[in-house]
Amino acid sequence: MASAGVGKRSLAWLRWRSPAASLERGPIPVSTRTERSPADLIPWVMLAGAAPLLAFAALPDIGAIGPTLRVALVDMGASFTRMLVAYVLSLGFALGYGYYAAIHRPAERVLIPILDILQSVPILGFFPVVIIVFINLFGATSLVGPNLASIFLIFTSMAWNMVFGVYESVKSMPVDLKEAADSFGVHGPQRFREVIVPATVNRLVYNSILSWTAGWYFLVAAEIISLSNQSTTLPGIGSFLLTAAGNHNAGALITGLAVLVVVIALLDIFVWRPLTRWAERFRYDQTPSGASEVGVGPPTSGRPLRRAADRVVRYVRVGAVRVSTPIIALRSTLAGHPRRGPPSKFARSAARTVALGIALTLSWLLLITIGVAVFGVFQQPLTAEVRGDMLSLPLALGLSFGRILSSYVLSLAIAFPLAVLVTRSPRGGRVALPVIEVVASVPATALFPLFIFALLPYLGFEGAAILMLMTGMLWYLFFNLLSGLRAVPPDLDEVARSFGLTRRQYYRRLILPAIFPAFVTGSITALGGGWNTLVIAEYIHYSASQRFQVLGVGDLLNVGTHLPNGTGYPLMVGALLVLIFAVITVNELLWKPLYRRAAERYRID
Amino acid sequence: MTLIEVDDVEKGFPSHHGTISILNGVTFSVADNDFLAIVGPSGCGKSTLLRLIQGLDHPSLGEIRFRGEPVDHVSREMAMVFQNFALYPWLTVTQNVGFGLEALGWGPERIHDQVERYVSVTGLVGFEEAYPRELSGGMRQRVGLARALAVEPAVLLMDEPFSSLDPLTAESLREEVLQLWRDPQLPPEAVILVTHNIEEAVAMADRIIVLSYRPSKVLAGVIVKLPRPRDRKSEAFYELTDYVYSLITEGGPPATTPSAQKGPPGPAVARPGGPR
Repeated sequence: MASAGVGKRSLAWLRWRSPAASLERGPIPVSTRTERSPADLIPWVMLAGAAPLLAFAALPDIGAIGPTLRVALVDMGASFTRMLVAYVLSLGFALGYGYYAAIHRPAERVLIPILDILQSVPILGFFPVVIIVFINLFGATSLVGPNLASIFLIFTSMAWNMVFGVYESVKSMPVDLKEAADSFGVHGPQRFREVIVPATVNRLVYNSILSWTAGWYFLVAAEIISLSNQSTTLPGIGSFLLTAAGNHNAGALITGLAVLVVVIALLDIFVWRPLTRWAERFRYDQTPSGASEVGVGPPTSGRPLRRAADRVVRYVRVGAVRVSTPIIALRSTLAGHPRRGPPSKFARSAARTVALGIALTLSWLLLITIGVAVFGVFQQPLTAEVRGDMLSLPLALGLSFGRILSSYVLSLAIAFPLAVLVTRSPRGGRVALPVIEVVASVPATALFPLFIFALLPYLGFEGAAILMLMTGMLWYLFFNLLSGLRAVPPDLDEVARSFGLTRRQYYRRLILPAIFPAFVTGSITALGGGWNTLVIAEYIHYSASQRFQVLGVGDLLNVGTHLPNGTGYPLMVGALLVLIFAVITVNELLWKPLYRRAAERYRID
Repeated sequence: MTLIEVDDVEKGFPSHHGTISILNGVTFSVADNDFLAIVGPSGCGKSTLLRLIQGLDHPSLGEIRFRGEPVDHVSREMAMVFQNFALYPWLTVTQNVGFGLEALGWGPERIHDQVERYVSVTGLVGFEEAYPRELSGGMRQRVGLARALAVEPAVLLMDEPFSSLDPLTAESLREEVLQLWRDPQLPPEAVILVTHNIEEAVAMADRIIVLSYRPSKVLAGVIVKLPRPRDRKSEAFYELTDYVYSLITEGGPPATTPSAQKGPPGPAVARPGGPR
């Protein structure tokens, strides 16, 4: 055993006798500079683009730009604060929930299926309900209610993917790192600090970027909705834009957009890029020994419920369909982050048992909504107006469905040729892709006031609604198709060309089957985005006298919300239930079976 | 003085088809001043056995005792060196070496001195602020070794520590471990080395426990009486290596060798080494 005073002499002797060690010149210099890529220029382009925008806005009346800018900045500040609060809450929630699910098997069986369903639910559909709940809690005149509602909405758009990030990081940590910690008795705060949290940093930084992108989208949406429903005016950039559109104030509209673009670009330059560089340190670049824990571990004991839950967990872990906030699907494909391919045989049996998770969460959601409904709502008799509206729900559903279908087809018609263009022609790609990235950074909802303001006369109400729906769908389809096209193995391509396939045969035999899984994934996320966007795209009340409205489920949802004295609540609840029902039915009957087929038959291994 | 007793240990793992039995009644003991090697074919549970000894896992049947007391929690008087180094990529060499010391409740100054000492002992001077990705494989395993020694364990457990290294680096690291072992002022009191490399076992250990194929038992305990430093080219070395090899492949001592005895799995004579 070593004694306290090891003689210097023996140590020196030892060191001198280790020739191999002394041969090492020094630590191998590893460059910590990440490579520069053209994508680094994007935020600067955005900043540069904002300046002429501002100038353009100032043209009609130079004098007015000052005060307008000031208001826009103040509103931007309010919006940003909401984002920050929601983000901090999401971070805490993700670390707790994700970590707990990762280390406790019983908890995992419950928490993960719930999460899988929650992220399929169209968030915006709940927003009017949430606002009402919060307003009732805090009083109609106080601003606390709507602010909390908005923060809650942003939170739901940010939190789920961060939870998955933490959960994944902890579960896939190399086994021997966990063993080393156990072996040296490292538990408690030291373990959290030196083992757990560093393992999550990489994914958390990445997922934070995704969350903020999603957050901007929903932040603006939330402000638009609350303004539309005239419940209260939430000060924020979304309200600013909508009010500007209502006042036909082009200058203000453009100023607001410019401010938003600038803030997003500044965040990118001064926060996200440095953070991403710092997070490099936490990568495991040595091949981890020991398999990660998917599929390893004691088999589940008899109880069928437990078995089913385990299957759902494995299904989620293998990276199966994540109908998450659409922007996240978009961004992840854009970043080239290894988007997991179609799941293996787990998907087949697991997809069937996902129904179990659905039943669980759906009944929970249903109970809450019914509770709200029963409590405040059906105490009053239905007015004739409301009854009439409720009876028109099936028709409204049909119309909404039609709109979504039309924008889906239109988006596909644009996305597919665009994706083909980008893959076929490298020069086209180099130009088009950065442009698309810039456009994708700006939350589409911020453009809605612009559409109504500028394009309504040309497109009509239906046209404008479809256009707004398309902004939600286009990029998800595009990026998924793009990644599918890029993943076509070049040797299959060579075979096609060497056998002299005609263009038609080439597409029919090779391309279309090869991208089928990506097509399905893209469609699922696009339609998910579409359902969500309905709530804004069908009803925007942008000034005292002007209302943009087309009959549909989203429309009725909003109508029910803002009818006086709460007479409309049954309508609101009814519309919401119809919306959820539609989403989940379509998902289960159409997409998930389609996805299973895609995974089995069309997967390229 | 006996440090560790492995008493008729069985270990099985549940699977879809029932339970897979890995260890099927393993018994041996480790005394202080023992350099013990455990060899056996792949999958025979050598690494599992090591984890059972430290207390990272529990036997299905049987018992393991350390200093007479059953091992029912992770023993802090033992430390492990891992096959793939198991270094934390976000900690520097210094932080990695000191990893287990904070858990022992040491104060920062004491930790600093201890880390400095073992960084020096394992030849890591100059690399204190480096991150694992900046180190070669040999240096990384030195960090693993330093980390294990820094907690001053009574027993050092080594799980195929050289198999992830290239042969030259592995050889020089073996030399260094033997030098550390020879120094009476350095821990540990005993070493258990798990390896699939029989030459390595014969070159380093005083006693070799030979495990059979799964579900494994102890085939023999072979005493290595060759003088140190071991001469790999000596005939005795070859014979011993051959003997161990044949033990494994034939599931027992070869019937033909007259001087061979099937050794009981304890400190008993099995095969004399040395020149005829």
